[in-house]
Amino acid sequence: MIDDLVVGLAGSGGDGVVSAGESLLAAASSQGFYALMTKSFGSQIRGGESSCRVRLSTRKVLNPGGLLDVAVALNWEDFRRFGAELPIGPDTVLIYEARAGPPPADLAPSTRMPAQVICVPLADLAKSSAGTDRAKVTVVLGVLAGWFGLPEEALDGGLRKKFARKGEGLLESNRKALASGIAFATLHPLAAPRALARPAAPGRKMLCDGNEMCAAAAIFSGCEFFGGYPITPSTEVMQILSRELPRYGGVVLQAEDEISGVGAAVGASFAGKKSMTATSGPGMSLKTEVLGLASIAELPLVLLDVQRGGPSTGIPTKPEQADLFQAAFSAHGDVLRPVLAPTSVEDTFPITVEAFNLAEHYQTPVVILSDQEIAQRKETVDPIDVSRLVVLERVRPTPEQLAQGYQRFAETPSGVSPLSHPGMLGGNYLAAGIEHDATGAPTASGAVHAAMNAKRFRKLAPLQERADLFERKGPPDAPLALVSWGSSAGVAREAYARARARGLAVKLLVPTLLYPVAEPVYRAFLASVRAGLVLELSHQGQLYRLLRMFVDLPPGVSSFARSGAQPFRADEVLERLERQAEAIR
Amino acid sequence: MTAPATPADYKSALKPIWCPGCGDYGVVQALYRALRAVGRPPHEIAFISGIGCSSRIPGYTTAYGFNTVHGRALPIAQGVKLANPDLLVIVAGGDGDGFSIGGGHVAHAIRRNVDLTYLVMDNQVYGLTKGQLSPTSPRGLKTVTSPLGSLEAPINPLLTVLAYGAGFVAQATPADMPGMTALIEEAIRYPGFSFVNIQSPCITFGEEEQQLKAHKARMKPLASLGHDPSNQLAALDLARGYGAELHTGVLYRNPHPPPSYDALVRERQAELQRGEPRPRARVLHDCLGA
Repeated sequence: MIDDLVVGLAGSGGDGVVSAGESLLAAASSQGFYALMTKSFGSQIRGGESSCRVRLSTRKVLNPGGLLDVAVALNWEDFRRFGAELPIGPDTVLIYEARAGPPPADLAPSTRMPAQVICVPLADLAKSSAGTDRAKVTVVLGVLAGWFGLPEEALDGGLRKKFARKGEGLLESNRKALASGIAFATLHPLAAPRALARPAAPGRKMLCDGNEMCAAAAIFSGCEFFGGYPITPSTEVMQILSRELPRYGGVVLQAEDEISGVGAAVGASFAGKKSMTATSGPGMSLKTEVLGLASIAELPLVLLDVQRGGPSTGIPTKPEQADLFQAAFSAHGDVLRPVLAPTSVEDTFPITVEAFNLAEHYQTPVVILSDQEIAQRKETVDPIDVSRLVVLERVRPTPEQLAQGYQRFAETPSGVSPLSHPGMLGGNYLAAGIEHDATGAPTASGAVHAAMNAKRFRKLAPLQERADLFERKGPPDAPLALVSWGSSAGVAREAYARARARGLAVKLLVPTLLYPVAEPVYRAFLASVRAGLVLELSHQGQLYRLLRMFVDLPPGVSSFARSGAQPFRADEVLERLERQAEAIR
Repeated sequence: MTAPATPADYKSALKPIWCPGCGDYGVVQALYRALRAVGRPPHEIAFISGIGCSSRIPGYTTAYGFNTVHGRALPIAQGVKLANPDLLVIVAGGDGDGFSIGGGHVAHAIRRNVDLTYLVMDNQVYGLTKGQLSPTSPRGLKTVTSPLGSLEAPINPLLTVLAYGAGFVAQATPADMPGMTALIEEAIRYPGFSFVNIQSPCITFGEEEQQLKAHKARMKPLASLGHDPSNQLAALDLARGYGAELHTGVLYRNPHPPPSYDALVRERQAELQRGEPRPRARVLHDCLGA
């Protein structure tokens, strides 16, 4: 029995590989499996190459998995385009469409070819069973069901959902294609049986992606305004909010450009409403000036940046973690802007709530740095107990304060001054991008500027103590550390668990608060550390470099970083950790 | 609370940074009077501006002001109005703010028809940065950035805004204070996007023929020309004279104003929220099927 299965499929746009992946995911989640699916495409709008990976497990799935257990190639050209995203090894079961011909000799240059390479006449089986070779991906599902013991009724349920609307005939023919796949698996068993264990707790699990989760959390947090402009891979947030937010009394404005989107959101915040914008790297660049305005006018704002490959247009459809510098530092003047990063679909919910809380409480723009993988991967999510989440509101002036000469930017010990909004009698003030005194009146005084800068930084000082925004695991005195953030943290968690299982004295740190760098938290964590890795998907290793700016990293801690669209595998991280452990032994 | 009794109640304690003799002094005076006539108390008014001499104007009123960044007053103001349609939202800026750096937003504010009043103080020059070419500077104008004379044709704000489909378009000058006051009041009362191009002279960098004295001699009240402000084609024809003529008054007022965007948004919300309000705590169930 196995308890974890990673399947990767690749084909041309019209082959339906993503649709097959979705069926597999839906079937698994309906049976109580944990599951996760990532999709990857060329940049074409229709057609071109497409692929997906589905990971099924009886345990919580932390990342899309490393080497594939099963690789399905509908043609070799498209399969090879996904190189690092669909890695195969000696233990992979590689199946391919018979019409594609045998695998090219140089298919796996850096590893041994899979021991089991199985030619399946997918199109022919589809044609003979369903009457059309378009059902070939349904045959694939049948083959997988046969080999790994996936319940046929669950896959049948998925087919029903997908084809019911398209007519009974199509549903029936796909059922036949599924059966022919199962029959093929029975006639051609794997060298060693690999049935998947049953999940411990059967029962349907919720499926969603990071963008959906972020949109839902924004609604939960009380967001009443969204202004944005379509940009891959964040657009779904605006789409979901366009559909849902008006039902909660909110407004979504599809603006004429990125600047206008964030501008409208800042305007809505000035008017007293919780507001949000979403974008990706190029849009973030355009929004930067208005973010500075929100910082100096001390207006709450949540900005979601779903990172993709960059710079410029880069690789819009693939993940990278290279916007950290931009999120933290893209400002003129002295600006401190909190940056949070979710690490999974599930924690996108509490992280988004936290972003709204920080924005409202500290009257500041807050950036959520998601990435294409988290934003667009679909995964099973355990029930979220929202009653444990606190929703904060901005501090507004009391009636007494309003009656007694209210000053919008009054000095307070915390640096947070009560914030009025239009409509509030007695709260009238001038908000401005220009430096201002306590009343809001413009000033060019260096002394006032210094005091206001100090106030704007002081109010965020409590973030230094937010150890709760860090996941820390492992023996406190471990000399070896693994640090990671964003989608790479899912790989780090798996590598950490495997390292612990092998007896390695290693500890794990996953910051969801990336900026400001909470120096005391890092200092405490690093006290015992002599070596370690900072794992992230960017060429420069941006978190590693950011940490070196603020924290005395032990010399043995190094960056394990590479450009986007080449996700890490837990086994390679584990291997590095072992080498580091060896070096300090 | 009852509305303040005098225009002075809309005047703040801040002293304007404008040069003595600047046309913007007249504009802010006319605005105080217009606001008094409209009668909304200052705390129900949001006054949004960009960057430039004229964009300082919100600070000189007792309304909630927001002096934002260069060129972005219109998007920010739309966010304000959509977030709280009960507010009276006024937007102000100069010709550079509105028709150069922020020019891309004008078309969209107009086609959306959010109920805003946009006052552009058009002086055909960049004043705050001390006398450079502006998008409405006439061809041939010599400035510090066009020392041999500008080779560019100016943008025509009146024609542009009419062509984008604005429902209320007027032009005013501080040379006619009662006329300007009445036009600002009428623009505020128009239910939808309204635009007033105010020929507000720059005393320091402006040309002689753009000063108040010259305005008094040149201006042609549209009412005296027998112009019918409900005639959009006639308005377009008159707008072609921008630069050569100084027409004052209402060029175009849509006699049948369509519902504004904010009104439509509010209507749709009311429809969607009929019955039980959706509790936000159940969002995972209601929106994602958890």
